[in-house]
Amino acid sequence: MIVEVSDLIQLEAALLDDCRYAEWIELFTDDCLYWVPVSPEMQSPRDGPSHFRDDRQVMMVRTHRLANPRSFGAEPSPRTVHIISGIRIEESTPEEIHVSSSQIMLEYRNRGRFEEDQRAFGGRVRHRLLRTAEGLRIAEKRIDLINAEGAFNAMAAPL
Amino acid sequence: MVIAELNPQFLVRAGEVHRSVYTDPAIFKLEMERIFGRAWLYLAHESEVPEPGDYVVRHMGTQAVILTRGKSGGIETIFNRCSHRGATLCAFEKGSAPHGHQCPYHGWTFNADGTVRFVSNASNYDGVLDEADYAISQVRTETYRGFIFGNLAGHAAPPLGDFLGHMKSTIDDLVDRSPTGKIEVGKYQLRHYYRANWKMTFENLNDTIHPGFAHSASVVSAKSVLAEVGRDNIVPTVGMMLANGKPIQFFQDLDMVTTPGGHSYIGGHMGADYTPDTADAYTQSLMDFHGPEKAKQVLSVDRHLMLLYPSSFWHARYQTIRIIRPVRHDLTEMIGFTFKLVGAPEETHVNAIEYCTGANSAASPVIADDLEIYERCLLGNEYDRREWIPMSRGLNEDRERGNSITRTPATSEAYIRNQFAAWADYMGKAS
Repeated sequence: MIVEVSDLIQLEAALLDDCRYAEWIELFTDDCLYWVPVSPEMQSPRDGPSHFRDDRQVMMVRTHRLANPRSFGAEPSPRTVHIISGIRIEESTPEEIHVSSSQIMLEYRNRGRFEEDQRAFGGRVRHRLLRTAEGLRIAEKRIDLINAEGAFNAMAAPL
Repeated sequence: MVIAELNPQFLVRAGEVHRSVYTDPAIFKLEMERIFGRAWLYLAHESEVPEPGDYVVRHMGTQAVILTRGKSGGIETIFNRCSHRGATLCAFEKGSAPHGHQCPYHGWTFNADGTVRFVSNASNYDGVLDEADYAISQVRTETYRGFIFGNLAGHAAPPLGDFLGHMKSTIDDLVDRSPTGKIEVGKYQLRHYYRANWKMTFENLNDTIHPGFAHSASVVSAKSVLAEVGRDNIVPTVGMMLANGKPIQFFQDLDMVTTPGGHSYIGGHMGADYTPDTADAYTQSLMDFHGPEKAKQVLSVDRHLMLLYPSSFWHARYQTIRIIRPVRHDLTEMIGFTFKLVGAPEETHVNAIEYCTGANSAASPVIADDLEIYERCLLGNEYDRREWIPMSRGLNEDRERGNSITRTPATSEAYIRNQFAAWADYMGKAS
């Protein structure tokens, strides 16, 4: 099972890094949650505002926008690489698997500002995976950035 | 520009402003003294410090202060700086210190009101140091309907009520929307920052022309998803993005109100509605508290956004307040807070939370574009060939001009001219 889970999580990261966003969204269930809270203490997105609190529709808008030439916040487009480590299955039932991992995403946008143009986002990721008729799908992805409480500059690419 | 020669009258004209107000560190330094050092700044809500000893740390311009609930129940505000060697007293943004604030360096300890509680090795100071001389300076605070404001100018400042003037009505709107008359701050805050001047946010947030351009990518993307899923299935966040695509005429017809001191607001409901069930339950609870007449009047108030110059942004309908923290002339932080309407359905707070996320997250498709634009404007304004920036849109379109309020179309830059009138007024006075 760990191989299957690990393959899915690595595939998800690769699709993001390759900007294959439509395929990325296909990995998620219809009623999915993609969530980057402002504190590891948050239990639910209803507890307070979030950096990202996306359902499938918002994910679609966000990624559609990345391809739009009028999207100034992503001009030039961000280039990213995800480094994922420590994939562990925390809990599993025949229908559902809870997975945790550590992730660093490096992001680069060439704005002529040297080192400032590259940023690192790192934290603990929790995936809740569901077995569906289409195969293993992501019902929830929660990223607890180590600097979750801090202030961020514009973020265009999903983490 | 040499600071001694600075005459703000030379930097602000009827319909234009000099680019150096965004780019010059010396002007920023003077703004901290003369604007953030003189205006009433919104700091915190009473509900953030409910018990004696509870404190929060907030910025007033570039200086941090500690607001502590004192033993007698009042709010005490002092600088977050030990009067011995200057070290920061409170490292955390909030906490409880019922026994005073202790400096980690030599253990000097201060009461909530700044008076000295303990000096280490006091015998070494016999006949040398009078503890009374080392009380930490207090900051004058006043409260309006539970919102705590501070003023660094102390008694030289006018009463808070005079500063707020007509803008009190927006704060009333926020509180009156509670079916118990009480509101409570949400537990979590959301922050973003950008590498540009603090005034950019003030000039952008009530700018109703930019969304059709700067946010067009979000509108196009939201419309594409709308076509795919159908109007009935659109989620609130996507609905908010679509609102940025409203036709210009909508904003031309809308009123903008400006008042002395650089403040302004516009109406126009631009967030997500409550679901029908929540709306019914909420309206009922409001009628039970206020009576039907007053409840109807409360719900009829239409304030999309009030800019309270120079430091806060009030989205009363969405129970969201944002505070600006100017860090340098080219670095600014924005901090978003939500409020619960105590006694209202929980869904109303979820609505506020979704609004705050859309309005203040650096990952919000709308905000990401704004932040990029702010930074581009700073870069361009460093260039030396064009010295003056126009702020003349709608210069001849005032609808009603009075001493206390002026009405213009919401497409006008009247609010920017009004901000710079206040700016020149603050900056022009040496003391």
